[in-house]
Amino acid sequence: MQLENILHVEDDESIRVIVDMALVDLSGYTLVSCDGGKSALTQIDQFTPDLILLDAMMPSMDGLQTLIELRKKPHCQHIPVVFMTARIQQSEQQEYLDAGAVAVIEKPFDPMSLGNQLATIYQTYIAAADNHSSE
Amino acid sequence: MQKPVKPKTEQQRLSALFNTGLLDTEPELRFDRLTHLAQLCLDTEIVLVSLIDSDRQWFKSRQGLDACETHRDISFCGHTILGDGIFEIPDAQVDNRFTNNPLVLGAPFIRFYAGVPLSINGVNIGTLCFIDSKPRQFTDKERQIATEFGKTIEQEIQDRLQEHAHEILAAREQMYRSVLEGTRIGTWQWNVQTGDTVLNERWADIMGYTLAELEPVSVDTWLNLLHPDDVADSDAQLEAHLNGKAPFYDIKCRMKHKQGHYVWVHDRGKVVSYTADGQPLMMFGTHADITQQQLSEIALLHSRDELYKLTQQLPGVVYQYQSWPDGRSAFPYASTAIEEIYGVTPEEVRHDATNAFAKIHPDDLGLLVDSIERSLETLNLWELEYRIIANNDSFKWLSGRATPERMPDGSTLWHGYIQDITQTKEHYLKLEELNQQLNVAQQSLDLASEQAQIGYWQASLKQGTLWWSPMIYQIFGLNEQDFSPSVSLFKRAVHPDDVSKVEQSEDQARITGIHNVIHRIIRPNGEVRWVHELGQLVSEDKNPELIMIGSVQDITDRMKLQKIKDDFISTVSHELRTPLTSINGALTLLQSGKIVSLPEKAQKLMDIASSNCLQLSRLINDLLDIEKLAAGKMLFEMKPLNVPPLLQRALNDHQPYADLHNIILELQYASQINDMRIYVDEHRLLQILTNFLSNAVKFSPQNGQVTLSASVIGDQIEIAVQDQGCGISDDFKSRIFEKFSQADASSSKVKGGTGLGLALCKELTEAMHGKIGFNSNLEQGARFYVRFALTN
Repeated sequence: MQLENILHVEDDESIRVIVDMALVDLSGYTLVSCDGGKSALTQIDQFTPDLILLDAMMPSMDGLQTLIELRKKPHCQHIPVVFMTARIQQSEQQEYLDAGAVAVIEKPFDPMSLGNQLATIYQTYIAAADNHSSE
Repeated sequence: MQKPVKPKTEQQRLSALFNTGLLDTEPELRFDRLTHLAQLCLDTEIVLVSLIDSDRQWFKSRQGLDACETHRDISFCGHTILGDGIFEIPDAQVDNRFTNNPLVLGAPFIRFYAGVPLSINGVNIGTLCFIDSKPRQFTDKERQIATEFGKTIEQEIQDRLQEHAHEILAAREQMYRSVLEGTRIGTWQWNVQTGDTVLNERWADIMGYTLAELEPVSVDTWLNLLHPDDVADSDAQLEAHLNGKAPFYDIKCRMKHKQGHYVWVHDRGKVVSYTADGQPLMMFGTHADITQQQLSEIALLHSRDELYKLTQQLPGVVYQYQSWPDGRSAFPYASTAIEEIYGVTPEEVRHDATNAFAKIHPDDLGLLVDSIERSLETLNLWELEYRIIANNDSFKWLSGRATPERMPDGSTLWHGYIQDITQTKEHYLKLEELNQQLNVAQQSLDLASEQAQIGYWQASLKQGTLWWSPMIYQIFGLNEQDFSPSVSLFKRAVHPDDVSKVEQSEDQARITGIHNVIHRIIRPNGEVRWVHELGQLVSEDKNPELIMIGSVQDITDRMKLQKIKDDFISTVSHELRTPLTSINGALTLLQSGKIVSLPEKAQKLMDIASSNCLQLSRLINDLLDIEKLAAGKMLFEMKPLNVPPLLQRALNDHQPYADLHNIILELQYASQINDMRIYVDEHRLLQILTNFLSNAVKFSPQNGQVTLSASVIGDQIEIAVQDQGCGISDDFKSRIFEKFSQADASSSKVKGGTGLGLALCKELTEAMHGKIGFNSNLEQGARFYVRFALTN
C-alpha cells in the first residue's frame, strides 16, 4: 500500500503553505489541510486519509486532544498519526508516542525530504500492522 | 657516873662501821675463835668484840656474857674509842666515872675493864674488851697480848670485807658470763705482749668449730680464719686503737666457717691493762655473729640500688621535697631525671631548693606556691600542672603529685613524682583548639543550614539511633518538642507518588553507599514540599558504629523556579522554532528551484538567507542542548560503538562545507580500531565531531587540510581533529570550553559561530565519561580531541 492521502492539522498558516508545497508540489500526495483540531474532526468525516500529520501545539485544542477525539471516531482508530513539534525535549516527544503517535517530526523540518520521511514512516507502520494481523 | 662523849669524827666513824656490814649479823667462828683464845690467854671472865653504834654497843663476838648489846651511855667501850691506846680500869668501884654504873652495880658486876680500840680506815668503830668481876691490873705483857689480839680482830674485819667484795665480784662475773652466753657472743682475751690468746666456746662455735678443734689457740687462730680481704682493715683498726686514736678496736669482717663459706662477725675490743712502761698488755673483746644482719644490710643496699636504677629509668623525677617552718626548702632526694625536668642536678638542690624554683614560669609561680602551702596545711595530696622555663626560653609543661608527711622537727616532707607532660599538654591544647574550631564550624554549619534550608541528620546503623538537626523539623513542619526522630516518622511524610522513588534510591545506597533523591513530602498541614535528600555512610575503616550522615534540603522554591525555567525553554523553543520552520521551509523550497526558478541575484540572496537561517537554528539547538544538559534532562543512548563508520559519516557530512572553503578533509585511523568499541551515544559523539570539524574548516586557510583521526592510547581511543589554522592564542586557552567564548569578538561575525559549540562538546563528552582536550601552537594549528575508554 502506498501513501496517498494525508490530513495536515496546523494552526500556523505559513507552515500549512510550506507543507502543502512540499507534499503536493514536490511529492504528489493528496493533502487536506485544517487550521485546528475542530475543523480536522469535521473534515475527517468527508476525507479519510492514510496518515494524519498533527501539530502538537495549537490554541484551544492541542494535538493530543485532537488525537483523542479523532480516535473516538470508529474509522479513525487505525489511521497512523505523526506529530510535528518544535518542542525537542525527549519527555515531550515520549508523551506523544505514548498517546499513540507513530512518529514525531521535529520543527524546523526539511521540506525537501518531508514527503519521503512520511512515506518511510507509513511503510514501517503498515509492515508492523501486517505483522500484528498475521500473528 | 660519867657518860662517854661522842668523838669529833663520830659521823665518819659510824659510816666506817656501817661499811663493815657487821652490825646485827650472826656470830662468826672467825671472831669467836679469837675471843675464846684471848679469854684463855688472858684469863678474864668476859671477852667481847663490841661495835659502838650511835646509841648502843652491839657485840659481834662474846665470851662469858649472854647479853648481846647495852646502851652506849653506860658502856665502858664508849670511852675506849675516844683514845688510841688500851683503856684500862683496874677497879670500877673506886673510879668515880663508873661507881654507880648499872653494869658495875648489877650484873655482870664489872670491876676490871680493859679495851683495845678497833680501828678501820683510821677511825675507831669498836673495841676488843676484857672484863672481870674482881679488880685486877694487866701486866705489860698482858697488855701487849691484848693489843695484838685487837690487831688480829681488825685484820679479820678487813679480811671479811675483802671476802665479801670478792663474793660480789664473783657473782657479778657469773652474771655477766650468763648474759654473754645469752647473747651468743664469743669472747676473747689477747696478751698483746706475749700473743697468748684465750677464746671461749662460743667464739669457736660461730665459725662452726669446738674450741678443742682449734687448739692450740693463739693469735694465729684468729688470723688464719680472717678473710684475706679484711686483714688490712683489721690491722688498721687495731693500730688506730693501740695508738689511742680510736676508743675501741671495732671491725666487721668475714671469718671462714668450718664448712668453707664465710660468716660475718663484729669484733669489738679494748686494751684493759698496760705494762709498767705504758705498753698495751691485755685486750679483751667480743666476737658477734652478724651474718644475718650483714646479709640483710647487703640485701637492703641491693634493693636500694635496684630502686635507684628503677628511678633512673622513669621519664620523670622521683623526689622528696622538704619545707621547714623558717622558710627553708630542699630536695633531700631527687632522682637524676631532675636534671631533665628542672635543669638542676640532685646535688644542687639537696640543701636548698631555690635553684629549682627559679625555673618556674613567672605566671605559674604564685599558683605553685599556693598549692604547696595548701598541701602543707591540710596534709592533702599535692597535685599541679605548671610550666617551667627551659634553657632556650621555650617552656615545658610539668605534672606533679606528692604526698606530704609532717616530720618531728615541724618540717613537712613530700614524697612525689614530677613528669614532663609538654607533649600531652600540647596535644590537649591542640584538641581544645580543634574543639573550638569544631564549635565554630558547627555554628557556621547551623547558620548555613538555616540560610540554605538544609537540615542534617546522623544515624548509627549499629546502635539504631537517629538524630535530626532543628532544620529538619522545620522542613517537615514538625514541632521539635513533640516528636523524636524516627525513620517511620520520615517515611510517613513522603508523598505517596514518590515512595517507590525513595525506596529505589535506598536500594541503590546499599550498593553505592550514597543515597541521593529528590522527592516530595506532605507536611501535617497538607502542604506539599520538595526536598533533596543526600546521605552516605561514613567511610568504613573509621566507622565501627556504622554512622550514616545525610542532609535534607527544602528545594520547593528551586523546583518552582525549575518549573518556570522548563516552561520558558519549552515556550522559547516553540515560539522561536515555529517561525523558523516557516522561514527555513520557505527558503529551502525556493532554493531547490523545484517550485519556481529564480533569477541569479535572487538565488544569491536566497543562499544568504538560507545560510543564516541554518545558523540561527543551530544556535537555538545548542542553547537548548546546554540547558537540557544542565538540567540533567538530556538522555543518552549509550551503547558499544565501532568508531570508523561514524568517522566516515562525519567526514561525509562535512564534505560539502569543506568544498565550499576549498579545504581537503582526510581520515586516518589504525586498522586495529575496526575491532574496537567505545561506549557512547552515537548521535552525541557525532554532534561533537561535527563541532570539531566545522570549527576546523572555519579556521583553516584556503586549500588547507583538516585531518580526522583515531588512535589507541592505552585503554582509550582518541578521536582528534587537526587543522592548519593559526592555532589558539594563549590567553584564550584557559576559557576555550566556556560558554559564549570565542577567540575574539569579531570572529563570530567572520566565521559564523555561536560560542556555545565547544562548551557543549565538553558537557557532552563528560556526560559520556570521556575526556576532552586540545593541543595547539600558533604555527601548526589546533588539534581537538576526545578520549573514551575501550569497552569489551
